Amino acid sequence: MKNKKSYRTLRRKLMKYGFAGTAYASIGFPTLLKAESNIKIGIPTLLSGRVAQLGISATNGIKLIIDKFNEAGGFNGRKIELIIRDSRAKPDEAARMTRNLINSNKVDIILNCEASSASFAVQEVIRESGTLCLHCISETSSLTADPSIRTWNAFRFARQGIHDAVGSASYAANLVKEKGLKKWMSIGPDYAYGRDSTATFFEILKKFSPNIEIVGQGWPKLFQPDYTEVITQIVRQKPDAIYSCLWGGDLVSFIDQAALYGTFKNSELFAINLADYTTMSAIKNLPEGLHSATRYIAAYPDRQENRDFDSAYTSRFGDHPTNWSWETAVATDFLISAIQETKSLNPKNISESLKGKSRQSFIGVGEGNTVTMRSKDQTLVNYAIGWGSTLPKEPYMKDIKAADWESIQELEKEWLTSKGWI
Amino acid sequence: MEVLALLDCLSAPACLLSQAVGGLKIGMLLFLVASGLTLIFGVLGIINFAHGILYMLGAYFAWQAMELTGHFGLSVLIGAIGVGIFGLAFERGLIKRVYESNLLIQILLCYAVILIVDDLVMIIWGDEFLSSIGVPEIFQVPPLFIFDAVIPPFHLAIIFTSLLIAILLWMLMTRSRFGSLVRAAAINPKMLEALGINTNFIRYSVFVLGSFLAGLGGALAASERSIVSQMGNSILIESFIVTVIGGMGSIGGAFLASLIIGMARSFGAVAMPLFTDGLMFLIMVLVLILRPRGIMGEKK
Amino acid sequence: MNVSIKDSFKKDAIYSVVSWIALLSLYFIFNDHGIQDIITKVAILGLFAMSLNILIGYLGLIAFGHATFFAAGAYTLGLFLQSDFIIEYNIGSWSIPIALSLSVLLPGILATIVGVICIRLREIYFSFLTLAFQMIFYSLILALVGITGGDQGLMGGFPKPPFLGIDLGIHFHFYAFTTFIVILAVFLMRQIIESPFGYGLRMIRDNHERPAALGFNIRSHQLLAFIIAGSLAGLAGSLQALLDVGAYPEWAFWSKSAEPLFMILLGGMQTFLGPLLGALIFELLNDFVSANTRYYGLILGLVILIFVLGFKKGLLDWIVIRGRKN
Repeated sequence: MKNKKSYRTLRRKLMKYGFAGTAYASIGFPTLLKAESNIKIGIPTLLSGRVAQLGISATNGIKLIIDKFNEAGGFNGRKIELIIRDSRAKPDEAARMTRNLINSNKVDIILNCEASSASFAVQEVIRESGTLCLHCISETSSLTADPSIRTWNAFRFARQGIHDAVGSASYAANLVKEKGLKKWMSIGPDYAYGRDSTATFFEILKKFSPNIEIVGQGWPKLFQPDYTEVITQIVRQKPDAIYSCLWGGDLVSFIDQAALYGTFKNSELFAINLADYTTMSAIKNLPEGLHSATRYIAAYPDRQENRDFDSAYTSRFGDHPTNWSWETAVATDFLISAIQETKSLNPKNISESLKGKSRQSFIGVGEGNTVTMRSKDQTLVNYAIGWGSTLPKEPYMKDIKAADWESIQELEKEWLTSKGWI
Repeated sequence: MEVLALLDCLSAPACLLSQAVGGLKIGMLLFLVASGLTLIFGVLGIINFAHGILYMLGAYFAWQAMELTGHFGLSVLIGAIGVGIFGLAFERGLIKRVYESNLLIQILLCYAVILIVDDLVMIIWGDEFLSSIGVPEIFQVPPLFIFDAVIPPFHLAIIFTSLLIAILLWMLMTRSRFGSLVRAAAINPKMLEALGINTNFIRYSVFVLGSFLAGLGGALAASERSIVSQMGNSILIESFIVTVIGGMGSIGGAFLASLIIGMARSFGAVAMPLFTDGLMFLIMVLVLILRPRGIMGEKK
Repeated sequence: MNVSIKDSFKKDAIYSVVSWIALLSLYFIFNDHGIQDIITKVAILGLFAMSLNILIGYLGLIAFGHATFFAAGAYTLGLFLQSDFIIEYNIGSWSIPIALSLSVLLPGILATIVGVICIRLREIYFSFLTLAFQMIFYSLILALVGITGGDQGLMGGFPKPPFLGIDLGIHFHFYAFTTFIVILAVFLMRQIIESPFGYGLRMIRDNHERPAALGFNIRSHQLLAFIIAGSLAGLAGSLQALLDVGAYPEWAFWSKSAEPLFMILLGGMQTFLGPLLGALIFELLNDFVSANTRYYGLILGLVILIFVLGFKKGLLDWIVIRGRKN
């Protein structure tokens, strides 16, 4: 691994060229010339395959907010136009499409709805072009936490791995005490997010409960069709608890296949990504009493605004919103507010306005139900994180416990220090 | 690499048995797909790079049949037969035209079909994955415990069904008139034609049989794997490995190689979880270098 | 003979300079980053496809793992630009030229190793072996997370310090530089193809026995061609990495190897510039289709079918043959 000095030098160089790129881009396309045209937002995302729901529900979340804005007359009569591209979750495609969106379609802003791997590719393209970019999906902490990857024109409007890890670990630690869950195993997809999520979860859980023991870890490939070889290991080890950050169709397959072995009768499952409507309803026989973080459910936060969002979305799109829908809805809301405030599309101005901005939100648990764009690392904080256990039917979750943001931020700081990132 | 973990597992009957049964299941499903691939190569001399879509279609057809009939066995059968019919159309409509062409043209034709069918599947059944069709009711029971190893009865059923198919296939190829014609066609098609036998018929019936087997694999896999466009890609790659290791054109070789790959997956997950794929390709390279005709391939 | 080689050398050199100037003027005619990007991408993909065509068109070897070297070039460039080495030895402004040279050299070495083993096999077995090596390379990229970043690819961008007054951070400089390098590589490739060595390759393709009877070593010809093709693919990969400011494991996946095959089919394999035309069609198709429909594979697949079953040869081959007939 590189030492800190070279990181800094690298970063300084990157900043220099990054800014040079921006300067050039703004000479090439003066914003004034486009005063009469629509505001164009480019959305690289994935709309097909095992995680099609990601792109579908993410773009729906954007449409819900944008349509309201356009109906209300837009910004001085200029409406927002969305240009959506399907990268099929391939990072190289995501890079190509983002570049095309910026150079060929001349979009003003990128709302990045790609999963983690592709998000890092998008990050490099916008770092060079200096286009404003809002990451709405990627939860991998390093995207904004690692100073060598962060860039001035990118903001994360999504949950972040380390936040969830603290929320999960403190919830799990209570059950460890209560039920004596000593032996742990994990099964996570073998890619950046999976490794990141699993490692941080155990790292933090060990802070709360030092006595737990990890007896095995399974790393199936992302979108692997068959988990038999991992499940047989789980069954053999008989762990008290299993941590899993599988998601979407992968999680559905895993739970279906593991249920054949009666796995969940002996082991408590902590599946951080389970409690999304579309995931839970796809499982053949959802066992009762699995643990999950609230990705998105109407019952949490238990507020009228939240139920309103759920019903507005459901009546328009015929399906419940997902975690990705709230993330993009919040991002779009922030973006519109920043454009209105600065009356410009200049990435510099909008980015200054976004930094530190707080807004009331159905998902907010900060002061006065707000979420905040933290300025120091340009990532969202104070969104609702709850943990509870599953029910086979509506409302799907019970006994939801809220995570405490103070302890999240405290442990996050410790974690950042241990990584050498602050 | 965790050699100790592997040794531990090999010396404990519980681990050995559960990983072995798991590996057997993966291997047998793979055999159904790969045997078709190797059969088609052996007789038609063509590599069906689009074999993965047959597996995928088997899963989709079975899912559709399950929606309509609600009967598991019937759905699997419909899935397999449906793919057999699709295979007939594929061979008569497209593959037939490139028998005499060079390898590049054959590869590209198959590549085109993969692209088209993957998209058609999304247009017909939607962009999103479909949930598995589930296990038939009689198998929705607690798993068996044998020497402390946990074994779902349904996996035993899959293994036995596939074994039965393998035996039937073997008997068909060695004990029937059809089988001897097929073997003759693989060696000297001109001679058969001179004897007044319709080699066209043999060609497409082999292609249909291969498609049927892949479809059956897909339909059975749909019982517990989620169904999605492009699901054929990974099984296609594995089938290639099996075909090469076993010897191109050899059914017995495909059987043996499928078991090897199934076990490599199952025990590889214990020993070196991050490099199981690489390991399989390494085996493939070694076989190609040391014995290009595979373990059981015959010299032509 | 000597005179004619010199003549054709001069002619090719003039063509190369003229086409570079033409491309530079295109930059200003289309004052649009989108179109300029398309030209850059076609140049890179064209180089990739033409390098493969040395094996397919001129030698008759269906290599199915050519993306190995493309990815190797991309990762070589990225890892070198990100390494501490540059800072420790204060390479500074020379880092880009050195990185590009390494991106030709290392894939060339890799191609030597892979080539020595692969060319022992014939036809489908050769194709399978190249594919297997490619998939091992792909698995290695995924497994060596600490070095390659695994599935995320190389992250954090590359510094691109200016050299000889060329600053690749500036769009025009990047365009001019990339097209220059590609034209230079194509020029060199042309000299190789038209040399006695190049004619040797054609002879091996058409007839296995005769070249051996004439007393030259088939394997060493094949190996040298494999190495040249691999090195040039590495160069194409490194230019792509500079463009996308990253390197991704997908570039080492088998489907990336199918792309240049497809371009060769589109443009033609019997004509020197055929694959380049194929790359142009491929890129336009790619951009146009993916901008207008999500069912990109359906359209692309149908186009391939038309070429495979209809034309049965690439566009440029077809044009050239028609031209000769008239």
